[in-house]
Amino acid sequence: MFKEFLKGLSITFKHMLPGHSTTVQYPKERLEISDRFRGLHRLVPAHDREKCVACYLCPTVCPAKCITVESAENAKGEKYPRVYKIDMLRCIFCGYCVEACPVEALEMTGDFELANYNREDFEFAKERLLR
Amino acid sequence: MVNLTIDGKQITVQKTATIYEAAQEAGVFIPVLCYAKKLLPYGACRVCLVEVEQMKGRLIPACTTPVTEGMAVTTTSEEIRKVRKTVLEFLLVNHVIECPVCDKGGECDLQDLTFDYEVYPNRFTGEKFDLPTDEVNPLIERNMNRCVLCGKCARVCDEIVAYGSYSFINRGFETKIATAYDRGLNCEFCGQCVSMCPVGAILPRPFKFKARPWQLKEVDTVCGYCGNGCTVTLGVLNEKVETIRFNDKIGVNNGNLCVRGRFGYSYVNSDERLQKPLLRKDGNLVEVEWKEALDAVAEGFQKAQSGKGLGVLAGARLTNEELFLLKKLAGQLGTGNLDHSGGECYKGLTEGFRETLGVQASTGDFPQVEDCDVILSIRSDFYETHPVFGMVVNQAVKRHGSKLLVLSDKKGKFTKLPGAETLLSRPGLEVNVLNAMAGVLLDEGLAVTKDVEGIEELKKGLADYTPEKVADQTGVSADSIRDAARKLAAAKNSAILLAYGLPYSAHSRELGAAAANLAILTGAAGREGSGLYLCGEKANSQGAVDLGILPAEGAMGAREMLRAAAAGDLSALYVVAEDPLSSYPDRAKVEAALEKAPFLVVQDIFLSPTAQKADVVLPAASFAEKEGTFTNAERRIQRVRRGIVIPGEAKTDLSIFEMISSRLGGQLTYTGPEAVFAEIAKEVPQYAGIEYREIGPQGIVWGGKSLDISARKVVFVKGGNPVDSPIQLITGSTLYHSGTISTRAKGPLAVIPDPFLEFGQEDAQSLGIKEGDMVTLKSNGTEIRLSAKVDRRMPRGVVFAPYHFPSAQLNRLYKGEAAIAVELVK
Repeated sequence: MFKEFLKGLSITFKHMLPGHSTTVQYPKERLEISDRFRGLHRLVPAHDREKCVACYLCPTVCPAKCITVESAENAKGEKYPRVYKIDMLRCIFCGYCVEACPVEALEMTGDFELANYNREDFEFAKERLLR
Repeated sequence: MVNLTIDGKQITVQKTATIYEAAQEAGVFIPVLCYAKKLLPYGACRVCLVEVEQMKGRLIPACTTPVTEGMAVTTTSEEIRKVRKTVLEFLLVNHVIECPVCDKGGECDLQDLTFDYEVYPNRFTGEKFDLPTDEVNPLIERNMNRCVLCGKCARVCDEIVAYGSYSFINRGFETKIATAYDRGLNCEFCGQCVSMCPVGAILPRPFKFKARPWQLKEVDTVCGYCGNGCTVTLGVLNEKVETIRFNDKIGVNNGNLCVRGRFGYSYVNSDERLQKPLLRKDGNLVEVEWKEALDAVAEGFQKAQSGKGLGVLAGARLTNEELFLLKKLAGQLGTGNLDHSGGECYKGLTEGFRETLGVQASTGDFPQVEDCDVILSIRSDFYETHPVFGMVVNQAVKRHGSKLLVLSDKKGKFTKLPGAETLLSRPGLEVNVLNAMAGVLLDEGLAVTKDVEGIEELKKGLADYTPEKVADQTGVSADSIRDAARKLAAAKNSAILLAYGLPYSAHSRELGAAAANLAILTGAAGREGSGLYLCGEKANSQGAVDLGILPAEGAMGAREMLRAAAAGDLSALYVVAEDPLSSYPDRAKVEAALEKAPFLVVQDIFLSPTAQKADVVLPAASFAEKEGTFTNAERRIQRVRRGIVIPGEAKTDLSIFEMISSRLGGQLTYTGPEAVFAEIAKEVPQYAGIEYREIGPQGIVWGGKSLDISARKVVFVKGGNPVDSPIQLITGSTLYHSGTISTRAKGPLAVIPDPFLEFGQEDAQSLGIKEGDMVTLKSNGTEIRLSAKVDRRMPRGVVFAPYHFPSAQLNRLYKGEAAIAVELVK
């Protein structure tokens, strides 16, 4: 029994030694973010426009109802989102919108630093999402 | 009746039912793509395959197979599922998968079935269609890459609309739906094909990329255009009517709509809608608050009451409740000068029918016309004023094999129907022909004379209207008059159709009476299954007559009011939902009246030419913004429901009447349309016993399917006199417009954007006129200029101009006569 105690505590003490801490000194130090991390959304650009075809699946699936889309017809007769905005104050970063997108026009990035001073600044319109 | 089992369920159905219909009745779901309730069975898609015990060894299409006694049907099994899945896989081989951008996505039958049958991945691959899309016209968009060849569009266009735009062309994989010579669509634009398409191959262009079907709020209401009373289901998004949804479950129209109903909704969303009351200050109309406007109205009306009196002119697009309140308000203002729709055109009902039949309404309902053996349509314009009722006639001719007789001054849609016989008369002489037909019935002993009053007097009067004499006058051959009369008399069930409206004010009483005479003499009046139809041009024309929006005993009607106002004998005019300046006959007289009237109040949704002359303009609500009831031309009372909010500070006509009343110290306040309707049920005998809440999806027909007529009295009416002029102008409705309001709706305007003058080909050739030429019309010292349209409808010497366009000022020439002698200058 004593042996097991030592074995366990040795792990605890090992973590107390320098270089073994899991805490990082954010913002000076940053962790590498997983590819699967669900941060700020990104609208994927195609050649001369966004890839999005304004099919309304993301606002439909969104449980927080934070996505606004308004579709329209462009000069080429294609369907495109005249308005595409996400209210980040309401977003719960569930990623359903990305999952629902039939044309892979929406992604979630590793960007999680979304704090801001004004409410309006939390509204991400098409221009801010297209990156 | 036939007994059968479907999936173990015992059911008894009609002998004529198919397996699919029986399954529907039993509540068993069978998928379909090419089946539609109103179309004949076709069996194109093979999605509805089922197993029948008695026909083992192969699968049977449910939608085309009639039921037989003792049939045992299985609708789901592993084999059926496999076969249906294969059918879908074949359909999807060359169907482009663009659901994200296809507006049908979300209500697409193919999409739903693909999901249900898990048709992914597809076992078969092939080339996807890459056909050009037809986006030439502004209303209907066709993308044949999405087509599943169910043929519903071609069938509805042929069977119901009787236009026949589409057909299958090419063979095998290259088969597609196309128009003649595969050109762009150029048709009536009723959009029936749009409503039928199970996929996104035919779509309404005004709705393109506007919204997804699941986002729309659906509101069932009644179309605000003609007296047909079709159910329109508004697709509302963010307080805006975005589209009209397909709905064949309720109402009189079986999901059928015309171009106006389907595409003419956009005026309710217009930016030009009146949003605030306007008051004339220093000669200009300026926006004011309601209080100020109402003060002005009250002051003006009070002055008029103590002065030379007040006249009220109403339109027939108000709800029953509003009309009722308007009548009460007129009573409170102490005036009997109350009238609607120009005061002339409805006299076929209020005088013609009342004198002869003792009623003031059509005697049958619409669907029964489908089973009539002989149909007489007076004026070919009937299809153009009431297109959806016209579609019932199409079906009668095409399916029931009815004989259609058209008595008119020009050709039209009806004349082109198979077997239709046209009695083409010179303009304004329809009564003469009807008289001659009545004479034939009496002479040949074909007439029903039992219990009919006035036969002797009629005989005396008709002595001048022998077929030969009338043939000379009208140009309709004596033989065809005789033949038509005999056919009408021999028919087991017959229908006589006639439309009335502002452009048809000539001979209105006479036409009504002559048609009623014919109905009495052929026995059609009051007979179950037969009917006499006199249909109003506007949504609530029948309601206006029912509720008595008519001059009181000894008071002035519309014409007298305008005359009195012009002569300075009337102190105020109150015009509600009407644009007399643009649509009433004799513009000069109306103009004089509006200018001379010391006080003019106009209540409308747009600043119409009449409203521009007003002292006070009160902004009102459109049909899509209010609750109430309309009574259609077959006496069906139907609920109108609010779909969107009223723009700005405009109010419903109901609340405006209440406000004016209370401002004048009256007691006209109700808790809403329901309370007003309860009052109507108390005071109007026809509406007695009807409760607002009980008006269901099919409405309530007052007087029942077949209206009991209280008299059978034939009266002699004099016919018209031919106009002596080489060129005669006639006016009326076009198919794409209704009244003047449709000239503010984008859909109808997309097809007919401008007023026109229609020529027959012979006239155009001999006068050297080409399509699009500007032509000057001269008559009575005035002239107007219109652009020419050349068609095959007009007989020699007759030209036609529609009355809808305020910009044309046609009523400067048209003074209420049936035909106008004109001179043409190029």
